[in-house]
Amino acid sequence: MKELQKFPYPIFFAVMAVLPHLLNDRWQAVAITFLIFAVVALSQDIILGKSGMFNMGQALFFGMGAYTTAILNNEYGWSIVATIPLAILIPALFGILLAGPIVHLRGDYLLVVTIGFNIVFVQVLQNNLGGVTGGPNGIFGLDSLSIFGYDLMSQISVYYFAFIVLLLTLWVMHNLAGSKPGRALHYLREDQLAAESIGINTRVYKIFAFGLGAGIAGLAGTVFAVQYSAVSPEAFEFIQSVLFFSIVLVGGSSVPGILLGVFVMFVLPEIFREFATWRYFIFGFAMIAAMILRPRGIVPATFGKIPKFLIKGGSHGA
Amino acid sequence: MDIFLQQLANGLTIGSMFALVALGYTMVYGVMKLINFAHGDMVAASAFVGLTIYTQVMGQATSLFAVIAIFLLSAITMAVIGIILERVAYRPLREAPRLSAVVSALGASLVIQNGIMLIWGPRMRIFPELVPQVYWDLGGVVISLIQVIILVLSLVLMLALYLFVEKTRMGAAVRAASIDQDAARLMGINVNNIIALIFIIGSSLGAVGGLFIGLYYRGITFNMGWQYGLYAFIAAILGGIGNIPGAMLGGMLLGLFNAFIAGYVSSTWADAFTFILLILILIVRPTGILGERVAEKV
Repeated sequence: MKELQKFPYPIFFAVMAVLPHLLNDRWQAVAITFLIFAVVALSQDIILGKSGMFNMGQALFFGMGAYTTAILNNEYGWSIVATIPLAILIPALFGILLAGPIVHLRGDYLLVVTIGFNIVFVQVLQNNLGGVTGGPNGIFGLDSLSIFGYDLMSQISVYYFAFIVLLLTLWVMHNLAGSKPGRALHYLREDQLAAESIGINTRVYKIFAFGLGAGIAGLAGTVFAVQYSAVSPEAFEFIQSVLFFSIVLVGGSSVPGILLGVFVMFVLPEIFREFATWRYFIFGFAMIAAMILRPRGIVPATFGKIPKFLIKGGSHGA
Repeated sequence: MDIFLQQLANGLTIGSMFALVALGYTMVYGVMKLINFAHGDMVAASAFVGLTIYTQVMGQATSLFAVIAIFLLSAITMAVIGIILERVAYRPLREAPRLSAVVSALGASLVIQNGIMLIWGPRMRIFPELVPQVYWDLGGVVISLIQVIILVLSLVLMLALYLFVEKTRMGAAVRAASIDQDAARLMGINVNNIIALIFIIGSSLGAVGGLFIGLYYRGITFNMGWQYGLYAFIAAILGGIGNIPGAMLGGMLLGLFNAFIAGYVSSTWADAFTFILLILILIVRPTGILGERVAEKV
């Protein structure tokens, strides 16, 4: 699997850049879905993979971004582009506020609390709190994307919007990996006590990771709302969070691993439509097998440029 | 006052089902420190297994003997599946990072849930009426025979489990393994057998819980395991996960809480209120009501 870790980014970007012109409508939609869920999975990776916090409620932030865009567009007539800053800021703010009182919880407890947030969120949407979420049906009939007066209705423009968001996310994650907060999160995840004892304010960095992950997921939510020009609660159920959680861990908290995970979870079922009913049955076995054969994920994460001989036992970075 | 007493009766019934299922979560967590996400789906599977045993093996008989046989056969079937589950999905991952086992549990949950769907179909099935519909009207409060059976049988099973864990040699071994697996091994306890035993007990109690859910709610669906499993799991955490009396107490409290929310507020908000309660309790007292405060090992 060594080759896989040298992910050929230029080739990937080039292929993704021309891809929509080679596909018909249906496959363009699948490709957009792939891009959106890849962004959400990467945002989940910041919290779960990079910082080691057991977050199983990422669909909450994804949904919050989507609903922010939908409500501002539908109720207040904002253009889609104008909603983007708030669709990032509101989930990020909620990420920070929700994480504040809970980041000190031990792993499994944190997992349950984040599931709880997700379920409360979906129930709030379904019960139409404040009369703006549209209840169980959600909100539909959103405007299409328009920039400087150009109406970007076509699916191809939505694709490029999603692609730009993915590139942005990869850029943020690349910078994060080489920055002070990125190193802090890595130490925090390896050993919280040791991180604290070398002077890392673990609480601040944990909340930071939640805020960043939530903001990126919120942006993905905007793209999702644009793609379907609608939002509804069931797209953000906590089962979705379980999928993002699994993708990060099965993939192994590395960009190629996560992209592979998203591909397997969301694109393969479209290719093998006739196996639709067997889909999750087979995925379940695949998840068990993947964990038994590669407990640290299919493409395990690496960190920094530390020479091989300095790493003990090969457990580094996992 | 009538609403109060009625919801008290309903709450105790639901609560004892939660408690039975919660025991499976808490015992596995106690020894393996693993959230067995597949447990809820095992509970759902048990209701379907019970349905098939009723139609295929018992020839739709509802005599007392047949009902007892359905319970026993379902419990045995689920115990066997529980052992297989542990062997295939959890044992190879004992030494792996914690999260790998969680993903494996999620995978097992998907396999069981969708296995039910492939065998019994995606539509809702109606669970047979094994217990006659008898109701007593106690001055405005209606109690059914099913509720009484569920409550009494659950209490008997929980008492038996409590006595087993506290008073027998084997129970002492279970407690030892949940305190420290390595130390227990040094004392000559076969931890693998203890874990298998826990899966047998947890799965068969869950199987009884699943049959109760079928009897009480009648409609059973392949994906109901997540719903009930999540509630039972919350009950286990409320009481202090890993703590057996805690799971019983947590189950009862959660059942009552749920029934009162449904009775006085609105059933559409029941999930949200339940989770808000859970979050508040975890923030104030992270180890649950009966859980001991242990410093995390370094």
